[in-house]
Amino acid sequence: MEELIEQLKSKIIEALNLEELTPGDIDPDAPLFGDAGLGLDSIDALELILILERDYGIRISQEEGRQIFRSVRTMAEYISSKKA
Amino acid sequence: MENRKAYIVSDCIVSPFGIGTDETVAALDAGRSAVTPRGGLMKDLEGNDVPVMCSLVPQEVCDALSDIFGPQWTRAELFALGAARGALDGVALDGGAMDDRASGMAEGVRMAVIFSTTKGNISLVEGVGEDCAVPAGAFLWDSSRRMGNFLGYADKDIYTISNACISGVTALAMARRLILSGKYDSVLVVGFDALNEFIVSGFASFKSLSGEICRPYDASRCGLNLGEAAAAILLSERPSGGAVVLAGGSVSDDANHISGPSRTGDALFFAIRDAMSQAGIAPGDVSFADLHGTATVYNDEMESKALALAGLSDVPVQSFKPYIGHTLGASGVIEAVLCARELRRGLMWGTPGFSCCGTPFPVNACAGPRCLEMRHCVKTASGFGGCNAAVVMSLPESAGGSAGNQDGCAAGGHLKAASLETVRRVKMDNETAAEEGFKDDFPAYIREKYRSLGVQDLKFFKMDDMARLGYVASSILLQGLEYGPEDIAVLLSNSSASLDSDLRHQANLDSGKGASPAVFVYTLPNVTSGEISIRHKIKGENTFFISEGYDREKMMEYASLVLAESKAGYAIVGWIDYLRGNFSADLELVRETSCHP
Repeated sequence: MEELIEQLKSKIIEALNLEELTPGDIDPDAPLFGDAGLGLDSIDALELILILERDYGIRISQEEGRQIFRSVRTMAEYISSKKA
Repeated sequence: MENRKAYIVSDCIVSPFGIGTDETVAALDAGRSAVTPRGGLMKDLEGNDVPVMCSLVPQEVCDALSDIFGPQWTRAELFALGAARGALDGVALDGGAMDDRASGMAEGVRMAVIFSTTKGNISLVEGVGEDCAVPAGAFLWDSSRRMGNFLGYADKDIYTISNACISGVTALAMARRLILSGKYDSVLVVGFDALNEFIVSGFASFKSLSGEICRPYDASRCGLNLGEAAAAILLSERPSGGAVVLAGGSVSDDANHISGPSRTGDALFFAIRDAMSQAGIAPGDVSFADLHGTATVYNDEMESKALALAGLSDVPVQSFKPYIGHTLGASGVIEAVLCARELRRGLMWGTPGFSCCGTPFPVNACAGPRCLEMRHCVKTASGFGGCNAAVVMSLPESAGGSAGNQDGCAAGGHLKAASLETVRRVKMDNETAAEEGFKDDFPAYIREKYRSLGVQDLKFFKMDDMARLGYVASSILLQGLEYGPEDIAVLLSNSSASLDSDLRHQANLDSGKGASPAVFVYTLPNVTSGEISIRHKIKGENTFFISEGYDREKMMEYASLVLAESKAGYAIVGWIDYLRGNFSADLELVRETSCHP
């Protein structure tokens, strides 16, 4: 799980051009969206959907994304549950 | 000074229904939709073709246009030329002969053409990659110049607007001002776009495409259909038989998000309010409103809020998208042509597929045709970059006698240019970067400039390079200035539109990686104006022009008309270009100093 979390952090930084951040700056339990955490927006959500689709072969809807993308950890948990 | 008006004296549509406005009108009368499943426009990640519901111009129509104009033109250009020629050669709207002065054929008539497109000849960048030269025809100014010259316009009288999905309505608003100010007597507005994989895969990556014919304002709506078309409107200061008056036109930005519509609808309301005020009409005078109505959940929600703010919730509303799809740079013009027909015929076609209103505020839509007592119509559009535009079209007998400047600067029916003075100016380019030790290193240069602003904004790093340049240059320009949201207009121009990001999006498609929403969203030049507006909370007029080099005089001339008529007292006017590491920004903050009495 921790390995998957680190992998996701790197992919997120690359896909969303968060070039000021390193994986260490991202708290896996912090909210991805909204002002409290990374402050991602609707375009970022679409990029996250693409990461799941392209890199993990998992298709989800935008609606499902709301739950899955709460934090890096919830993303990782969802991916492992699908891969199990 | 004479009391000038801008009359719509002729028009022409090239659409999936054929060449000529009457072809499209007949199809709408018959209740036909051009939206059907089409292949060859999109692939999935495995490279399989994915059919898309959209509205395409049939090959036989393209062949017919190619026979008329020759094989040297692209599909997009053929659409544009077909519509332009049709409007210039056309008969007056009532079927009679057009006045020679109205048609621009008489001696001494000052003529201009405004091309409106989002992606022009974008098909030419397929396979260009990172190293090959970009074909000249992919530059919008090059295409406009060739088409404009072919139609008989001099270089100096050819304008190009690329302002996302509001391009067409914005071009109409500009044309009206050019005629009212007396700069031109006849202005041809040509809106066009042709669909290809570049466009379709980008919208698909936004999950905004509907798998069925779109259903604007309906509770079950689930996205838009793309379409391709061209339409031309010839505006003249001389009325001709049956001419409808373009009585008002205004543009705004909602300063909220580059792709997500405003959650309040306030900026679309500002555009509607100003266009109605120029036309001298109140909500009760509006016979119907034709909105953007793309059938995405958030667009239609936003429009319902703007209607409520404008006091237009009860007014009959329609969207043409279920008939012809969203035709991008053509949409504002083609829909304005159809609205002018509706005004003259006393009949509104309606919004097929609508049954149950699904917006937070009421929208008086209806699936079938309605007979209405016609006087004035409000036509709007909204697009990426947060931009909104509205025009008012009026039957000649209902059009008011005076079109005087809205902010009281001038009385009478003439739009008088405001005097401007430059308050501040910021220039940044490869040379200034090299002088500061950043030769050929834009990323390091712009990062350093950003850091020296002392702001923390993660969004900066998500922007493409042109938007970063705009963000930094505008931040330096506006430092310490106090203003309200509607106090500033943003009028920018460049040569390469969004080609730098276009090439990135195309490379994603060519490599099989697939479209990335974060890249595709920057494939419109006015998204840079949108980022500037978001950063500085600017909700005034917002227009992006394309020209070969920076024509400062022309930009200032238009700024003086915008400031004379809009609430804004300031404008950011300038040039902002970025292509493959070559960049230049030259922004001026100008202020309206006086109104000629």
